Amino acid sequence: MITIDHSGCILCVGCSSVCPVNAIEVVGTRMEHFPEKCIDCGACVRICPANVIEMYKGVKSVKDLPADKQKPR
Amino acid sequence: MKGYDHDIIVIGGGPSGSTFSRIAAQAGLDVLVVDKRKEIGYPVRCGEGLGAREIIREGLELPKQVYSTPIQGAKVVAPNGKSIVWKDEETKGWVLERKMFDKWLAELAVAKGAEFHVYTRALDYLKKDGKINGVVLSHGGREPYEVTAPLVISAEGMEAIMARKAGFKTVHNPYDVDTCYEYEMKPYDHENLIELYFGNQIAPRGYVWIFPKADKKANVGIGIGGTVLNGTKRGNMKGSDPKILLDQFIKNDKQLREASTLLDFGGVISVGSPIDEFVKDNIMVIGTGAKQVDPIHGGGIAIAMETAIIAANTAIKAFEKKDFSKATLYEYEKIWRDGLGKKMNKRLMLRKVMEKVSDDDLNYIFNAITDQDLNQVMKGQFAGPVAKVLAGRPQLLGILSALVS
Repeated sequence: MITIDHSGCILCVGCSSVCPVNAIEVVGTRMEHFPEKCIDCGACVRICPANVIEMYKGVKSVKDLPADKQKPR
Repeated sequence: MKGYDHDIIVIGGGPSGSTFSRIAAQAGLDVLVVDKRKEIGYPVRCGEGLGAREIIREGLELPKQVYSTPIQGAKVVAPNGKSIVWKDEETKGWVLERKMFDKWLAELAVAKGAEFHVYTRALDYLKKDGKINGVVLSHGGREPYEVTAPLVISAEGMEAIMARKAGFKTVHNPYDVDTCYEYEMKPYDHENLIELYFGNQIAPRGYVWIFPKADKKANVGIGIGGTVLNGTKRGNMKGSDPKILLDQFIKNDKQLREASTLLDFGGVISVGSPIDEFVKDNIMVIGTGAKQVDPIHGGGIAIAMETAIIAANTAIKAFEKKDFSKATLYEYEKIWRDGLGKKMNKRLMLRKVMEKVSDDDLNYIFNAITDQDLNQVMKGQFAGPVAKVLAGRPQLLGILSALVS
């Protein structure tokens, strides 16, 4: 799965446009990630112009992320 | 239409959605436009340049508040600094104030009778006998509600989530996007020319642009290939990082390195080929969501507006026939592919050739060709300019032959 640092996100939806499995979408006024759909391909990380996405390969839910990454920013 | 809430539901209030709804509403159709953003035109997506032809062709007059400055032409700069200035009817246009421009287009549509609702998100389709006959909407994340119409238009832009849900292949391969970063800067002395800087060191598989704006301002940005691995992203992953290269460019420019930044944004633009089908029963995809963009510069506004008119005319006919089958809606796709599609194919060929040319070759080419040649190239007439280049550098035949075969 990925984490998104919303404080730096510019809402360009680039991540959403390259995600092959619809795992990132604008919800309300921010990008939302759906870890259950994520296939860890990394496309969103590579193209994010604001560099706010980080991948945690193999992690499937927020509770398995490092403690400091569990709270959305 | 009788038995439905509206004739047409348009998803997305950008240039394509607003232009489509203006034409359809003008013909007397009942059009509902929904946009998930809180405000039409904001957050702004990439792109502020617009050619004059589009506006003139439509008989519109651009009001003062929607553009920052008129453009007299383009200055294209080679890696070694040699430039070609190109001024003619083709290169006249405006640098827009994008938010105001989008709002203006929406207001023109409202004036013709289209109904807009912002902060309203399409969640899913309604279906009857397996065919789309409306959408499920939600305003600001509140209780979903259903709205019916025999025709749905996806004018969603880059992510095109609803088009995806209808089975259109709107996902972008990272190779077919450019990642962009841009600043609005001041002061910058310009000559009301769009400046484009090419080179594999400056902007691999892309370019740096300086768009002039009023009051000595400029939109300074860069787009580079989505699969260029020039940067280190979070988690130490290699990735495409346009900002590093843009900052480098600015540091090397005497004026810009002293200038202030007033706005900082970025985005991802589509530079590949259009999706393989634009219509299915009861639905059409128009604009950037259908990847109808210029693959050379990723510009989509002018194409979106031209496309929207074609699609709206097809929609009007569909209502006359009361037939919303794929076969009827295909008229739009056919006109597009025979006209704009052919032009864009040539641009894509050119982009793919430019990717393979080294900086040294690029310097040579810029030296060999004139502004007239550039004009021909942009019109898709490659033969003359290619012959000129090959006369002095025949070893480029392998790369350039793709343009003349």
